[in-house]
Amino acid sequence: MPSAAEVAWLIPVLPLAGAVLVGLGLISFNRTVNRLRKPVAVLLLSSVGASGVLSFAVLAEQLRGAAPYEALFNWASAGDFNLEMGFRVDPLGAVMLALVTTIAVLVMVYSHGYMAHDKSYVRFFTYLALFSSSMLALIISPNLLEIYVFWELVGMCSYLLVGFWYDREGAAHAAQKAFVVNRVGDFGLLLGILGLFWATGSFDFEGIATGLSAAMADGRVSGWAATALCLLVFMGPMAKSAQFPLHVWLPDAMEGPTPISALIHAATMVAAGVFLVARLEPLYSLFPDVQTVIAVVGTITCFLGATIALTQMDLKKGLAYSTVSQLGYMMLAMGCGAPIAGMFHLVTHAFFKAMLFLGSGSVIHAMEEVVGHEPALAQDMRLMGGLRRTMPITAITFLIGCVAISGIPPLAGFWSKDEILGQAFNSYPLLWAVGLLTAGMTAFYMFRLYFLTFEGPFRGGDLQLRQELLLASGKPVGAAAAGHHSATHESAWPMTLPLVLLAVPSILIGLLGTPWHSRFAALLDPKEAAEMAAKFNWPEFLPLAGASVAISATGITIAVFAYALHKIDLATVVAARFPRINAFLANKWYLDAINEKLFVRGSRKLAKQVLEVDAKVVDGVVNLTGLLTLGSGEGLKYFETGRAQFYALIVFGGVIGLVVIFGSLG
Amino acid sequence: MPGSHLISTLSQDAAKDLDAFPWLTTAILLPITASLLIFFIPDPGDGKVVRWYALGVTLTTFLITVAAYLRGYDPDIAGLQLYQRVSWLPQVGLGWSVGADGLSMPLILLTSFITTLACLAAWPVTFKPKFFFFLLLAMDGGQIAVFAVQDMLLFFLAWELELLPVYLLLAIWGGKKRQYAATKFILYTAGSSLFILLVALAMAFAGGGTPSFEYSELAAKHLGTGFQLLCYGGLLIAFGVKLPIVPLHTWLPDAHGEATAPVHMLLAGILLKMGGYALFRFNASMFPEAHVQFAPLLVILGVVNIIYAALTSFAQRNLKRKIAYSSISHMGFVLIGIGSFSPLAASGAMLQMVSHGLIGASLFFLVGATYDRIHTLQLDEMGGVGQKMRKMFALWTICCLASLALPGMSGFVSELMVFVGFATDDAYSLPFRIVIDGAAAIGVILTPIYLLSMLREIFFGKENPELANTNMVDAEPREIYIISCLLVPIIGIGLYPRLVTDTYRATIEQLVARDESTMKAISSPPFPFQVAPKLT
Repeated sequence: MPSAAEVAWLIPVLPLAGAVLVGLGLISFNRTVNRLRKPVAVLLLSSVGASGVLSFAVLAEQLRGAAPYEALFNWASAGDFNLEMGFRVDPLGAVMLALVTTIAVLVMVYSHGYMAHDKSYVRFFTYLALFSSSMLALIISPNLLEIYVFWELVGMCSYLLVGFWYDREGAAHAAQKAFVVNRVGDFGLLLGILGLFWATGSFDFEGIATGLSAAMADGRVSGWAATALCLLVFMGPMAKSAQFPLHVWLPDAMEGPTPISALIHAATMVAAGVFLVARLEPLYSLFPDVQTVIAVVGTITCFLGATIALTQMDLKKGLAYSTVSQLGYMMLAMGCGAPIAGMFHLVTHAFFKAMLFLGSGSVIHAMEEVVGHEPALAQDMRLMGGLRRTMPITAITFLIGCVAISGIPPLAGFWSKDEILGQAFNSYPLLWAVGLLTAGMTAFYMFRLYFLTFEGPFRGGDLQLRQELLLASGKPVGAAAAGHHSATHESAWPMTLPLVLLAVPSILIGLLGTPWHSRFAALLDPKEAAEMAAKFNWPEFLPLAGASVAISATGITIAVFAYALHKIDLATVVAARFPRINAFLANKWYLDAINEKLFVRGSRKLAKQVLEVDAKVVDGVVNLTGLLTLGSGEGLKYFETGRAQFYALIVFGGVIGLVVIFGSLG
Repeated sequence: MPGSHLISTLSQDAAKDLDAFPWLTTAILLPITASLLIFFIPDPGDGKVVRWYALGVTLTTFLITVAAYLRGYDPDIAGLQLYQRVSWLPQVGLGWSVGADGLSMPLILLTSFITTLACLAAWPVTFKPKFFFFLLLAMDGGQIAVFAVQDMLLFFLAWELELLPVYLLLAIWGGKKRQYAATKFILYTAGSSLFILLVALAMAFAGGGTPSFEYSELAAKHLGTGFQLLCYGGLLIAFGVKLPIVPLHTWLPDAHGEATAPVHMLLAGILLKMGGYALFRFNASMFPEAHVQFAPLLVILGVVNIIYAALTSFAQRNLKRKIAYSSISHMGFVLIGIGSFSPLAASGAMLQMVSHGLIGASLFFLVGATYDRIHTLQLDEMGGVGQKMRKMFALWTICCLASLALPGMSGFVSELMVFVGFATDDAYSLPFRIVIDGAAAIGVILTPIYLLSMLREIFFGKENPELANTNMVDAEPREIYIISCLLVPIIGIGLYPRLVTDTYRATIEQLVARDESTMKAISSPPFPFQVAPKLT
């Protein structure tokens, strides 16, 4: 019997087969297949589930100490160039495989409930399976080029899923923005990969690192060029993992269905950037300058996400900026040369953030029955409140998520975040300080979300408030009276079960990564783990951990006073006193406005001008309209009066003349 | 001596294939003969009989080319195969000469494949159907001949033969401005093809002796660099119009803007490839010294094509013209590949031709199918079409993703091969490579911008009230079948590119090796470019 690693190629292939089968069915027998909801869901769920079983078998093998496994075949060749594709299984990949399949299965179960009333239920499941397949293939890619392939494919799935409700203008724009911003990152990634291949003749992770240091040693590649290539490659992770300034697409991507926000835009795809940087650790560890850039970018992102999250009134957007912020932490860890810490935070964050998003979906689902299917209403926390009473399971799991992300021991977030902050303290004390401050803000805004949503009185029945909110978001006021219930109720079991199941790792998984005995580190890098355990001492750990717990506690306390006990009115105390800062945060640091003005309108204007040149100058010279006729209207007349041939001959003479001139000059 | 080597392989191949069935001649003459017989077919006038006849002929032709590939073609051989020559007037070197090597074979297959699908796409044609299918079949033969003939005079004739049907197809079945578009097309291409005739004559008589138009003999001639440059420049204009190369491209948006769906498929799928093929066949193969001088120019023009046409496509509000410009943009990669001295990039250029032939044909077919339903090409009059036409939306999305070079589809592989090949091409100086690859990669950002904007404006959002009176039925099985036929090779190549690249690998490697050795032998820095090839 082959080992699990040898058949690891099945892990992405199984969901792909399911997705292709259903996809073909949708195209050929649309109505029939659309009616087969349960069979399709069972088929796709079991295909992803089978991948999950295989993934855990692979992980178990790696835990038992199996050697990494790699299988390649010749994919393209020309001249003496040979490009190999295939798959590889190693501890890092095994961890990611297990993580992605677990969350994918839970999200699919959840979607059965969440999308129950959607007419495109089958299409949704097909996309989910397609995404799972691409993401899993990305994880087991053995070289940069193959990563790039699946990197693009997960981006495509994200595009399809963000634009899932394609009758909504917002979704259409968000989907396109997500794809294009990611392509900007891919532009750098592609050029970086090309450059690294030019410098080293290799696409695989270790080959690039050794090749580049060899090339620098014998002077073929200068230091600045190598640094530039590393930074170009980093552009890819910057876009995918929503790092400043390419983070702008992620909050908009919340237009997609909430299970997608949980799976793709919180737990898995956005973590791909962090994963890639971890894969390239052998390369980046050669360039301290590049690592500093990564750390600084991570810290800025982390701070920016948290500050914007402070003022968000949309539940999902608040979580989205929180994701941006947490991704910043992971990148900071990568910049500190601590990929294990970053990966550990990736894992813990995946569990509790997926749970938080699914919880928000449960809330939105309940709210929609009261306020109707208008995202501007169903997701606005001003209309929520008191939901704990009607939705106890959602509320408790959400609270667990808040505690976990805030970094209160012994929940998951504490161990991983503290590990990162500890590394930052040793490498970049200034960045540590920012990270610590952000930890406090994180605790504050998460509990703010919790209190506004689940505590206090329910405000969803307020029709006047609904109208105001609709006006503010520029939507027709008529939708204010939609909805057919007056009270919310707990979601059905397919939605609550995943929440409960995710709560378990959110509480416990951190214990696998305690700094004195990190099983997680022991799996990824036994040598490093032993060093860590040997270096660990309580007097050094306690003050740092104490500081981060203290600042989180402060954040929670402020939130309690402001939103639970209503002892402080932040609107008057802070927002009114510093209107500029408040406006700055509420407008998301004005980055969206700059983006719109500079790039969107700029590119449109440029394109228009080029087209004008094309029509008036290039084609105009070709037509020689100016010489033959007084105006362009005159020119058309010639065709109707039968002088077309003569005219055309002149045209052609003009072209040739032009070409000769171009040719002799050019 | 590359030339004499070529001749010796040639005669061996000729001897080997002498008794073989004349596959290529049949593939050329069958559709042309059949096209003439079409007027004797009893048809009630609505085309219901003729279209089956035409489909049968194109399908047979396709099967013949496939048989030719399977029975008479060995992809490991670099030289000519399936060779057949019949002398007619040996005194002036006239004769019938066909054959196929790695440059021809994939494009011959592409031609017969796309024409078959175009025939299926022409199913709804009811206006003068006999004449329509007559032209379609004539084009089929003419286009296969362009790729298969091994004689420059025949090449010129085939090149011209294919112009006339396109002119008529545009002028009779086109849109509102069809006369203007058709005239512009014929003058542009017919005029520029004069250069082909001039160069063919000049080369045939150069160096004295018995004139011959046979490619192999032309290639074996020792031509002075000045003469080469002159011929090269003339041919570059002729083929640059076809490819098209900016600024010789303005016939294309007009022709595309007025053509009907099947004609579109042929224009984008095959006609543009004639330019790329001819640049490989003549410019890069026969004038190696001139090619070294011109290559940097080709590369720069390629980048200009990519960026310039992507921008114009983005601003264009007419759907057909938008996709026409996107074709121009994609052909830029072909130019870069031809201008490089790397087998990988040249291979990528060949693959890009095949790939764009398939993707361009599918996109233009979809434009036609959508136009049949909503009767407008203006993006401003569309919106929310996806509500009623969900399958159509899915097909559009897949084809647009293919066009923006999504991995797993053919366009990605070909563009990647050009990128990687050019980046590692030691013939050019490093700064030049960085600038070119960097600029070409801007296309990677621009392409999704215009294609996804287009999708958004057609399909996303609420349905445009102006479309209230249109009959939006979803894609019918025939249409899904056509797109599926195109998607199978698109995805097949994307998953395993060697399916196609192996068919021409040997030929391209030999061609590039010859150009490269010529380049290394030239002592003076070529052409007035700062960024001239570095001598190694």
